[in-house]
Amino acid sequence: MFKVMMYDGGVYRSGELYELIDDVGGVVLQKNRSAQMLSVIMSIPEEDVKTVEALCIDIGGVVKPVPLAGTEIAVVGPTLGRHHMPHPICDIAEELRRYGAITVVMGLARGRGKATAQINLEERMIIEEYDAAVFSLGNFKECIEAKKDLFKDVRVPVVLVSGPQLEGLEGYCDAIVSGVGRKSARMRTAPERAKLDEIADRVEDVLEHKKELIEEDPLFVHPGEIKSILENYEPVDMCLRPSPLVLHLDGIRVKIPYEEHAEIIGNMEVYGRKLKDVCTITPSKINDSSILIRIKTVSEIAYDDAKKAAEKK
Amino acid sequence: MDIDVECTDGFGSESYAKLFEDIMSDIGKAAHIEKARIKLDPHTPLFVFSVKLKAEPANKTIGDVANVRSEGPDSHITITDERYAPDILNQLWKAYGRASVDQQTRFDMNVRNASAADITKMVISSGEEYLKEIVGSLWRTMPEGIKNRHTFIDGPVVTVVATEEMFQPGMLEEGQKIHKAMCGDA
Repeated sequence: MFKVMMYDGGVYRSGELYELIDDVGGVVLQKNRSAQMLSVIMSIPEEDVKTVEALCIDIGGVVKPVPLAGTEIAVVGPTLGRHHMPHPICDIAEELRRYGAITVVMGLARGRGKATAQINLEERMIIEEYDAAVFSLGNFKECIEAKKDLFKDVRVPVVLVSGPQLEGLEGYCDAIVSGVGRKSARMRTAPERAKLDEIADRVEDVLEHKKELIEEDPLFVHPGEIKSILENYEPVDMCLRPSPLVLHLDGIRVKIPYEEHAEIIGNMEVYGRKLKDVCTITPSKINDSSILIRIKTVSEIAYDDAKKAAEKK
Repeated sequence: MDIDVECTDGFGSESYAKLFEDIMSDIGKAAHIEKARIKLDPHTPLFVFSVKLKAEPANKTIGDVANVRSEGPDSHITITDERYAPDILNQLWKAYGRASVDQQTRFDMNVRNASAADITKMVISSGEEYLKEIVGSLWRTMPEGIKNRHTFIDGPVVTVVATEEMFQPGMLEEGQKIHKAMCGDA
């Protein structure tokens, strides 16, 4: 299993760090250099974490945990109206970014009201593009219970954030954090900061569980390796959107149009195979602005190989 | 501001009192409200927000918020309620032009070739506009899904009764009861 961590220090002897990451089969997820300071977010095989940590300390840096690095999370509110935005939805998104995640904030078209709240298929499919979703609902227990249909069919882990303590919703989502509700001011007091930490910890727990499930049937390649290949593709390099390549637990989002680039990307090679053979490449449901690459598992590839062999015979 | 919240949901009661206070402070209306009574019934759903204002909404003139005196052909204004300073300045600029209005300090300004009587009568804030802002701030405090609203206004008391779909028999009466109780306090 891979563990994501961050080196924070100077550029001095950083070449040794990159060499070690390469030697142990790890991947550099993100690199930021500012003058003589350097921060590197990397994904390292669990058994080699201590060796890498020792080298980081030896070259004068520190190692910080970024438990949500390499994930993209949607923070969903009932609407994008001023009743729900920017607090607490943006506060939650900001906290998740501090934990290393890439976040998006999303409002449903008709998520407000007790009897009239609804989610459509398109919205649900957009939410399912992310590694996890945080639903931030309001202050009344009865209303939140009536709105369980908003998230009950979402097929990615859901963390429900609400005001009152809820009962009987455990089967509809993966974790519940209560005590937030509707807010009109920034969450800046100590108990509110603690609540935000609690939300990030719950998200970390549900994603940890998802990672364990992925480990049971590992991916054919680590998403970071596909990122390294795509970084050299010129349209990605030239893309001006923030984070043109966003890692997911089981794939990667590439922020360039599907129609123009899907075929070229599909024909790129990884471990002697074409990318389209080891990944599912689909357009994002938001619009044609990005490509979603989901990496197949080792057993899926073995099944595909067996099928092809049988067809040849 | 005295806030009285009646709610069937424990968490909702506490958080709505805070929410009401925060939103009113944010949009600068907290100082105008003497008393608020909020009834929250998410089960029905029925929401009643009633506020008693410190003063009945009416047209405000410069004479209400400043002292005006003649100084030869000019007039001198001393602002007594600073909240209206931008409105005063705006109206004077419109009527006499920027070149004629000289703001010496935060509270003092001189207007060239202007009669003190005319300045005293100038309207700087209309009562209707003020009421619109109060009703808007109450809508903003209410839950977003509660779209069907009815407003009662009597003197300084403004009450908004709201539900999600259709008003059921008795809902408006319930709101009117609270509204009358607030008027009775006046």
